[in-house]
Amino acid sequence: MNARGLGCAALGVLPALLGAQQPMQAQPPQPPRDTTPPAAYYGVTEYQQARTKLAALMQRNGFTVYIVADMEGLAGVVRNATEMRPEARGGHDPTHEAFRKELADEVNAAIAGARAAGATQFVVNEGHGGTLFRNIHPEDLDPDAILIRGYPKPNVMETGLNPQVDAMFIIGAHANARTPGIISHSYAFDSFTVNGHVLNEAGIAAFIGGAMGVPMALAAGDNVLTAETREMLGDLETVTTKIAESRSAAAVFPPRVVQRQIRVAAARAVRGVRLGRIKPLRLERPYHVAFCTRPTFQAWVPEATGNLEGVARMAGDSTGRCFTYQTDSAEAVGNLLNEIEWIVLKP
Amino acid sequence: MPRLAMIAVLLCAPCAVLRAQTPAYTPPHLPPPHGFRVFIVPDMEGMGSAVDIHEVIAGNEGEQYKTLTSPDYWDHFRSLLTREVNATIAGARLAGARSFVVNEGHGGNLFANILPWELDTGAILVRGFPKPLIMVTGIDSTVGTLMFTGAHAGPGHPGILAHNFAFDTFTVNGKSLNEVGINALIASEYGVAVSLVSGDDAEIAETREILGAGFIGIVTKYAVGRMAAITFSPTLIRRMLRDSAGVAVRRAMRGDFTPFHLEKPYHVAFALRRSYPATVVAGVDSLSWSGLEKTAERSYRLTTDDARQMGYLLDAIERVVLH
Repeated sequence: MNARGLGCAALGVLPALLGAQQPMQAQPPQPPRDTTPPAAYYGVTEYQQARTKLAALMQRNGFTVYIVADMEGLAGVVRNATEMRPEARGGHDPTHEAFRKELADEVNAAIAGARAAGATQFVVNEGHGGTLFRNIHPEDLDPDAILIRGYPKPNVMETGLNPQVDAMFIIGAHANARTPGIISHSYAFDSFTVNGHVLNEAGIAAFIGGAMGVPMALAAGDNVLTAETREMLGDLETVTTKIAESRSAAAVFPPRVVQRQIRVAAARAVRGVRLGRIKPLRLERPYHVAFCTRPTFQAWVPEATGNLEGVARMAGDSTGRCFTYQTDSAEAVGNLLNEIEWIVLKP
Repeated sequence: MPRLAMIAVLLCAPCAVLRAQTPAYTPPHLPPPHGFRVFIVPDMEGMGSAVDIHEVIAGNEGEQYKTLTSPDYWDHFRSLLTREVNATIAGARLAGARSFVVNEGHGGNLFANILPWELDTGAILVRGFPKPLIMVTGIDSTVGTLMFTGAHAGPGHPGILAHNFAFDTFTVNGKSLNEVGINALIASEYGVAVSLVSGDDAEIAETREILGAGFIGIVTKYAVGRMAAITFSPTLIRRMLRDSAGVAVRRAMRGDFTPFHLEKPYHVAFALRRSYPATVVAGVDSLSWSGLEKTAERSYRLTTDDARQMGYLLDAIERVVLH
């Protein structure tokens, strides 16, 4: 085992300590917990209807890029508890505002690069929950882009995604749970697989997009994220924004340099899709999904998760927090993720 | 369920500010217009980009609002709001309008959201609270056309921060009215017609059902939940407002828009929100309002020949709601 392997093993136990920094942190237990679904409070639009709404706004011809905008993988970001959330949600670091600007800058760089390679339409979906999916200041974003913001929303990171989209990008992405990446996690999970393929958040987005023929063409984040995503998805463009030294320390590259690299990689990504080099992730139907919720969560999280429609307890699981789910629809998996996210994130 | 109650209450931003008794004072008319007057009612829930309660509440509206603001967000959206109004004025001016009244329609920060020093210098701004006929304070027959920006859908619709004053249902002659509909009916007493409404897709669809398809509707965003939407660049929204306001003024000058018409007398029926405590119901019960009848636990009706009477009753009810 090399040093990294040892680091990996050591970090495996760290989530328990770092739990307090997780963006999808559990509320203190106050049973009995109200598990009313989001639609009852907020009238969340059914995911297929949301998809219809976005599809109706899209150009018939041209090349559309759908950008998932997360934050942990942005240039410079290392610490979740302060940098990734505003004061109103417990952050105490003015650099949060600077990172919101950095988010817009990196997304704008991706748009500029894609546009240079012929992309004509851009949809940006807020993917970071720190400010409940409202991180980009709307006026900082490239004016050509459609911006999906707010929470709760159907299929969190894939809201409105539809077959008319030509390519997906993920910016500010973070590495999978139980890896030594910066603020590494995956939704509310400790592990998540589809047909045995390990997927991180970028991989899940690629899976849902892939099922409708949309390839994940660009992922930007730390070295752990870019390496694991290439392993999961095969050929795609990646931009390494920083080298993780631990889950909250990194050798970071200058933001301006990262933005320039994103611009170049975005152009390559669009060309890669057009030439057929970058392909959608296709998995065999039916999809056998297996996942475990984080061990740091209180008991009500796996309990409520187990009660969701179609979710079954994993055979032979002694932890009580591992489940399986089988479906022919990748979007239904996205919807399931949304429901689990709601269980954890509910304000 | 306290959470449901809280959400219902917090969405009624205007209600918070209706505590003080309106003084027995009749303000003089606004200075008469030199040329075509446009009356603009900017609300915030339906403006471009806004999706969350924290973006439209200052936190000083009352006890229950304290935790519902995020100053960095609200400040930001005040500026965006002001620029939306400026764009509307700019478009209207290019089309020949010469007088502009802007009446704050959003209860955040006690109806004082627009930044006066950033507002177009040609506009008269009505801000603060309390004010008679809240959302149409200052309207009279000198107004050439009425525009609502940033409007939101009524309760029961999947629109961004959807609500309607203090009510779960509100009908006139059996027709369900949202806030735009109620104020359009009041404006019709002065012969003023609505020419432009901007808001999310739920709001525009709902308002077309109420007012008909005559007005110019601008969809600022497509709701995918009550606090999440597909939104567009503020630049694009301002361009749409500017262009549409110009078209609206030109058409209004030609008399293209007709005031909202319902048969008189108006049979007004409404139900207070289910989430309100019994004290609110008791308070409304004790209003000595001529002609107001109670028809069920939370339901009332009123018959009147003047939509303004309906407006004043609304003011009185809202004072009860949060007193």
